[in-house]
Amino acid sequence: MSDVQANKSIDCKGLSCPMPIVRTKKAIDEVQPGQVLEVIATDPGSVADMKAWAERTGHQFIGTTAENGTFTHYIRKSNPSETKPEQTHPHVISNEDLLAKLPDHPVILDVREPAEYAFGHIPGAKLVPFGELEEAIADLQPLAEQDIHVICRTGSRSDMACQVLSERGFSNVKNVIPGMTGWTGPVESK
Amino acid sequence: MANKRVAIIASNGGLDSAYKVLNIATAAASTDAEVAIFFTFEALAIIHRDAAAMLTMGPGKEHYAEGFKRANVPGISDMLEMAKELGVKMIACQMTMDVTGMTKEMFIDGVEVGGAVTFLDFAYDADVTVTF
Repeated sequence: MSDVQANKSIDCKGLSCPMPIVRTKKAIDEVQPGQVLEVIATDPGSVADMKAWAERTGHQFIGTTAENGTFTHYIRKSNPSETKPEQTHPHVISNEDLLAKLPDHPVILDVREPAEYAFGHIPGAKLVPFGELEEAIADLQPLAEQDIHVICRTGSRSDMACQVLSERGFSNVKNVIPGMTGWTGPVESK
Repeated sequence: MANKRVAIIASNGGLDSAYKVLNIATAAASTDAEVAIFFTFEALAIIHRDAAAMLTMGPGKEHYAEGFKRANVPGISDMLEMAKELGVKMIACQMTMDVTGMTKEMFIDGVEVGGAVTFLDFAYDADVTVTF
């Protein structure tokens, strides 16, 4: 999992509770919504604390890797509006309906951050972080006439991605609702 | 998510009490809670300018000192600085000050002085109340 990308990394090695949390709070205030923070700690208590902290503060706990007594936690700073997405792209598909189509190998674009994708995505889903969508449009052109299923965590980023794709002439774009947060189907991590 | 409110009453001196109070306070404030600590009786030593000299481990607890060092636990003055930076409200008990002859100038900057009602006013709406 060493290829997980983060926008900022803080070193809390050797620090005891509550220092990793105090440092994390400080660092999350310094990154932009949507960006990923990496916290490296040796405090075993940080494994449970980091998750509880993220749940309480509303930021997204992506995952933790453990190696030789060092824990690396990934947290994505959320956008206050993210939990209640404003749907504007008219074409949506439910998680269940997408799951039923999986045997036909549908085109799935996962527009989350690379770190989120690395910790679990639908097999065959193509990673195109929302922030890089504009640059990726040219490469996606061959798919313009196909059914494209766009997914993120809660349906918010994917909704914006659907709008971008529709404006650029992609005719059959569907937003997957609610997204990875409610996904019960197969998942693979990288 | 509406922020939680944590009200802490600190009434004991000693280095271990200081850590109990400040660890919970900084952890809560880091988790976006609104935190106030009411320092009364011996706990006023925690916010005293001479806290380093006044706060000791007490008999039978000397072994903690080495552990604190090993676990890289920050000093009390650093913890207080962090707590202030995180917006923790610190209230010194007026009554104890009157009894012991302490004045506001003896405390670190940022400490407010108040009576029980000042703290209660905050605590009435608290989601969590902790006493040390």
